[in-house]
Amino acid sequence: MGKLFERIAKDIRLEEGLNSCINCGTCSAICPAAEFYDYEPRSIVEIVQSKDDKKIEALLSSDTIWYCGECMSCKTRCPRGNTPGLIIMALRTTSQEMGYFVNSEKGRQQLLLKRIIGHNILETGYCVHNKAVVPALHPEQGPVWEWGYQNMQTVFERMGANLDGEGTGALRKIPQEALDELKTIFEVTGGNKRFELIESFSEQAALERGLEFGEGLDNEYVAELISANNEHHCKL
Amino acid sequence: MKIEGKRRLWQDYQKEVANDKFFYVRSCIRQTFFPGSERAFIKIIGTELEREINEDPAHTSCTGIGYHADIVPFETTQTVIARQFSLMTEAGLENYVPSCITSFGLYTEILETWEHHPLIEEQIRENLYKATKRTFNKPKNLAHASDVIFKFRYEIAAKAKYQLVDVHTGRPLRVVEHIGCHYSRMFPHKGIGGAEYPYVLAGMIEAWGGEVIDYPERRHCCGFGFRQYLVQANRGYSVACSQKKFESMQPYEPDMIITNCPGCPMFLDRWQYVIGEMEKVAYGPNGQMIPVFTYEEVAGLVLGYDPWELGLQMHQVNCEPVLDKMGISYDLDKKYKGSKGEDMGVPVLPEFLKCC
Amino acid sequence: MQKKHVAIIGGGIAGLEAANVLAKSGYKITVFDTTEKMGGHVAKWDLLFPNMRKGEEVLTALLEQLPDSVHLCPDTTIVDIEQFNDYYVIHSNHNENYQADVVLITGGFDAFDARRKEEYGYGIYDNVITSVELEDKLKVHNFVTAQKNTPKRVAMIHCVGSRDEKVCNNYCSRVCCITAVKQAIEIKKASPETEVFCFYMDMRMFGRHFEELYREAQEVYGVQFIRGRLSEATENKDKAIIVKTEDTLLGKPIKMTVDLMVLMVGMELSKTLVPLVEKMELEVGDDRFITPFDEQLFPNNTMKKGVFVAGTCTGPKNITETLNDAKSASLAILNYFDQLSNKN
Repeated sequence: MGKLFERIAKDIRLEEGLNSCINCGTCSAICPAAEFYDYEPRSIVEIVQSKDDKKIEALLSSDTIWYCGECMSCKTRCPRGNTPGLIIMALRTTSQEMGYFVNSEKGRQQLLLKRIIGHNILETGYCVHNKAVVPALHPEQGPVWEWGYQNMQTVFERMGANLDGEGTGALRKIPQEALDELKTIFEVTGGNKRFELIESFSEQAALERGLEFGEGLDNEYVAELISANNEHHCKL
Repeated sequence: MKIEGKRRLWQDYQKEVANDKFFYVRSCIRQTFFPGSERAFIKIIGTELEREINEDPAHTSCTGIGYHADIVPFETTQTVIARQFSLMTEAGLENYVPSCITSFGLYTEILETWEHHPLIEEQIRENLYKATKRTFNKPKNLAHASDVIFKFRYEIAAKAKYQLVDVHTGRPLRVVEHIGCHYSRMFPHKGIGGAEYPYVLAGMIEAWGGEVIDYPERRHCCGFGFRQYLVQANRGYSVACSQKKFESMQPYEPDMIITNCPGCPMFLDRWQYVIGEMEKVAYGPNGQMIPVFTYEEVAGLVLGYDPWELGLQMHQVNCEPVLDKMGISYDLDKKYKGSKGEDMGVPVLPEFLKCC
Repeated sequence: MQKKHVAIIGGGIAGLEAANVLAKSGYKITVFDTTEKMGGHVAKWDLLFPNMRKGEEVLTALLEQLPDSVHLCPDTTIVDIEQFNDYYVIHSNHNENYQADVVLITGGFDAFDARRKEEYGYGIYDNVITSVELEDKLKVHNFVTAQKNTPKRVAMIHCVGSRDEKVCNNYCSRVCCITAVKQAIEIKKASPETEVFCFYMDMRMFGRHFEELYREAQEVYGVQFIRGRLSEATENKDKAIIVKTEDTLLGKPIKMTVDLMVLMVGMELSKTLVPLVEKMELEVGDDRFITPFDEQLFPNNTMKKGVFVAGTCTGPKNITETLNDAKSASLAILNYFDQLSNKN
């Protein structure tokens, strides 16, 4: 048993997610990612179960572990009580903590998620905030959303939101003390540490790839993350 | 399909839902896309049904999206959630009701983790105290907001002004019910009806006069997939999942879709628009799409609330065909106006999708 | 001296075989069965693997060789067995009591209730049936779908209710794989144009001629075998069943539409024995079958003096194994009586 496996085995999601796999395929049969991507949850479990550090290291650096949508359909079917989705989460955690994630196109996207969702959480107390769903970045939201966005205050008021207001209500301004508590929790529990790791590994990767790296979304490295797709992710 | 077979299974998955004194926590996505639904929930439970429902302004996101995008460590998420429980404890309450289904799944997962690993719970208590000097009790009852509406579905039916019936023909509306993945997949016994044939929405539909449709891809995820939608490069996964569902349900000619998850109604709505524009395909009759609703929107409609107060104007697939079928009267002039009648113009019409 | 009395709980082939051996050795025998006819499950089977002989031949042979002295009590459920120092009193649901010197439990198995595999849709979708129901269709030459058509394509699903933590049956039920091969061949004989797909995890061809039958199924009859456990079944508008599995050898998920889906249901300890096992405090394993005194050396004794077990109530077996086990139990009982009389 290698050191890498030992490290992942400490994650409670691996403990809960892996008993033993008999390769029956019920997880892959039902997995949405397996339908569209070149991916099988069964193969992931097989590799982790082998405890082979070399194979696991290759996995952590690959696009493969980033295809899962964490819908947990796999859990409903497994006759051995495994949950490939939880194993994926343990792998993704390790991949980020150790820096392997920057070796794959899908893995590098974690910086984007940190800068959008992570930023939202700490600055507003929400993971997703209506102001952040900018129509230009989200054409799929459609013209009605665009109209609502342009007339945000009035439209949201009509629907009963308390946009940026005091007190209770949807989209209220979360009180500063609450945000401060959130920030301290992130500091104490390693949330900030995770964010810092994602940033520093990404910055290193930008250097190695010769791309401009800066804050926010408006730089070469991050721009690539948003839409880069090497077209090799799907089954033939 | 033999409905008795399903009923027998539903019996096996009963769940206790508290009757009163709820501590309500909001959903990031629903506040963004369906604030009207959350308002309706509070109105229905608090005013219509005269139960006590509390909201503490100091509550935050549970960080579920961050957790499932794998940027927020499990320990952090657990401690944030411990803080939420601390707010509930401060309010002197013990019945916890999240508006979001991923939250509900996460709260359930965390309570189960603490149940089986008490040392982890201890660690989280330490974390919370260290960070905020807070302590907490665990909720006595944890139920999703849709569980609560399910519990009161007959009381709502008793006050109903409309039914899920086509008033012109007397035919019950054919309803597709879509359950959020994180409701009962991880812990089937924590969901009403279990993981395979969840009953939480089916029960509402039946109580309000509609007919539940079963179709082959009923259990398929809508495709949110967290990072699979949030990053533009991955979005194909998301729309492909929804497309699978639409193609599967189309032969059954549903009148409407109801879901109990924050993301699902948004995705099932927007992806119909996207597929329409990209592939010139519509899944309803006559080039129309299938209107998608949250369960609070449906409860509100059944109770006679104004559609625009509920927020139906913000749906991309317009809901008027269902309103017409149900015999609900509405003022089209007021659809895109503010609450004081402010004129804000109207959204641009899509090329293919017939709406507005 | 009065003849010693052996009460046999269960009138299937194990009970009948033991009754035959023990009656011919001079003991008084009563056989109880909850159903109206003796013969247990074998009465339902059409053809037996691996040689395709008729099940009713075996049953008829067992019944014909039974001495008239054997007292048969069909339609009788044993509700309690009280232990006294050197005899047992058996209470039936007809409020009758019987005194016996030895009790032999041959209560057998129930087929797994497939409704518990919710995602397979048994009891919900019309064209999902069990292997037991298929056997009946083949026996009466009525191999049709719920819509009364000959199925063009059939899926046979291995391991239903077995090797499955979700339904609390971690064990293998042993005979389902070979049953699937047998039934697949019977389907092809009844309807050569019908495509048959067996979805398996492993092919457990443990007995003599089994592996050859599997090969015959492939080469002579064209049965297809796909290594992938059924994940989910749904129904489309035409009442056909949509099967979702992964072809694990090709590493690809597959969706297949079939006209009929057959669930190879496993074995569980018969429900009729559960209250008895509890009352008598007999040992059961995690698999809920009765655990004998010593699996290798005394497989038919229990911890209780004078209480013996045989047949599938101690775990899945095929017919030959069951009959052998009944003979073995009879020998154990004969030895027991010998020891008793040597003491006296």
